[in-house]
Amino acid sequence: MSAFGQLVLSGILIGSIYALMSIGLTLIFGVLRVVNFAHGEFLMIAMYGAWGITHLLGLNPYVAAIAIVPAMFLFGALVYRLIINPALDKPHLVVVFATMGLSIFLQNVALMLMTADLLDVPPVFSQSITLGPFYFKVELLLGFLVTVLCTIGLQWMIRTTYLGKAIRATVQDGEAAMLMGIPVPRIFLITFAGGSALVGLAACVMLPLFSVFPTVGLNFVLIAFVIVVLGGMGSIEGALLGGICVGVVQSLSSYYVAPAFGQMFFFILFLLVMILRPNGLLGQKGAATIGMND
Amino acid sequence: MSVAETQAPEKTRRFQILPQRGKVSLFEILLLLFCIALVAVRLPPSMGDVLLLTFLFAGLGLAWNIAGGYAGLISFGHAAFFGVGAYTSTILFVHFNVTPWIGIWCGALLAGLFGAVLALVCARLRGPFFILSTLAFAEVVRIGALNWSSLTGGPEGLSIPPIPSLINMVFTSKTTYAALMLGYLVVVYAISKALEASRYGYYLLAIRDNEDAASAAGVNPLQGRVAAMALSASLTGIGGSLFAQYFLYLDPTFVISPEISFQFALLPAVGGLGTAIGPVLGSLLITPLSELLRSNLGNAAAGLHLVIYSAGLIVVMLYFPGGLAGAIAKLKRWRPFS
Repeated sequence: MSAFGQLVLSGILIGSIYALMSIGLTLIFGVLRVVNFAHGEFLMIAMYGAWGITHLLGLNPYVAAIAIVPAMFLFGALVYRLIINPALDKPHLVVVFATMGLSIFLQNVALMLMTADLLDVPPVFSQSITLGPFYFKVELLLGFLVTVLCTIGLQWMIRTTYLGKAIRATVQDGEAAMLMGIPVPRIFLITFAGGSALVGLAACVMLPLFSVFPTVGLNFVLIAFVIVVLGGMGSIEGALLGGICVGVVQSLSSYYVAPAFGQMFFFILFLLVMILRPNGLLGQKGAATIGMND
Repeated sequence: MSVAETQAPEKTRRFQILPQRGKVSLFEILLLLFCIALVAVRLPPSMGDVLLLTFLFAGLGLAWNIAGGYAGLISFGHAAFFGVGAYTSTILFVHFNVTPWIGIWCGALLAGLFGAVLALVCARLRGPFFILSTLAFAEVVRIGALNWSSLTGGPEGLSIPPIPSLINMVFTSKTTYAALMLGYLVVVYAISKALEASRYGYYLLAIRDNEDAASAAGVNPLQGRVAAMALSASLTGIGGSLFAQYFLYLDPTFVISPEISFQFALLPAVGGLGTAIGPVLGSLLITPLSELLRSNLGNAAAGLHLVIYSAGLIVVMLYFPGGLAGAIAKLKRWRPFS
């Protein structure tokens, strides 16, 4: 029983970190109706950036977020200008292949510059916290807190601020929003760059837990897609729920079945959700038809 | 002379010069003769390698194009069908001593079945959801193959005994393989051309372009999608078996990787989606380029060939969304002297 509880708890914690990594993807999909296949590579670059800062300046990877988050915001804005924006008015396929090309491009630039070696940062915290019969890794707990704060902060921003209202209006009806004087192209730019900045934050939280290498994004982007679909594309609290589901499934199945099958379980879970509830667990009606014919 | 009169002879010409839907053109015949000449001329072994991979991938791109181009079922999971075809013929040969000449058809059948199942499972999904589901489907197949060691050899993979003979479909000369791959390419091309001209091909285009309207006009979209996916998958499975017969070695991370799936989709995307000539042109351009870049730059800088390749892909997608075939179609309308 204690083992089960421990597994569920660590599943929730790791799942929340997966969720943090997916929030940017779900935000971009919800607003721009574009699936960014290079999302995992954004994570990879940000992890390399955080690793560089930690390695060269001897700083804590969490402190590196102060530089990485704005840097990723600018990087996202640049990618939006160069690739996403020109592709938006073309058939849906164009943006799919263009972001996929970007993903291969970034992977191989990283391979050329950084080689395929696995890079790590020295552990930040030497001890774990014990609470009753359960152990917590401090890094995981910190990641969980960052995710929860981020979710609450984003929800607040989207509910109350002018920018948030403009984003919601754009999601509901882009043309009407434009007629009401909302600068829709700028909202797209801010959302894309903001989503990228969130990936930067996720990278800083993940660096103490995972090694970084050129194809690290591929492992995580598949998890992120599963989470985004489970939570309903575009839903932030859905991403948190989806992340926790994936984390718990992965942690339980790798203990009770076999680590290799852990991954298979959540892909099967993904396909089941797609068949039974294509709008996601919390997704609103019609979410699955977004981005269908444009 | 009026404009109508000057243009009249063009319409009655029996042979088209440039490729057109459902018709045989001069361009295609010359291309075929050129390919046959390439096989007949004794190329140096390294070039022979590039040549047969170009043919094989052109065929695989065409197979993908049946689902992705004509029916609009963009799949990033075709590596699963490729793997099913490759593993079926290889397992039948290695474990049960069935000749690959029979095994290929079993592989095609099984891959087609997988394709039909995928299309049925994803019947309600469109756009990005469909794409992501095909990706997940291929991952399930890959992890399954990786862990079903008694049948697939797991991560160590499966080797085909390199005993050259016609019955084993193992040859010593690359020319024979090149001829085999060209045969595969011609068959898939002929199927694509026949499909383009047939009623069924128009059904697929109608489903792709407007499902509701197609449905109202009496086309059954589900049936069309399932059949297109099954046909595309079984042709991909045949390609997988041929691939296995050439490399004589299979392992799940090699044949069922997402990279392989992307490759199938990229060739038609660059060449021109929904046209028969597109994937062939795409493969003629990209496969030799990436192989040559790989062999010439591979040692100097790992990954540089893929950097060039992907940058090219982004530019083509953003500025020439019709691909190479789209550029040819523009050429056709280009009248410098009128």
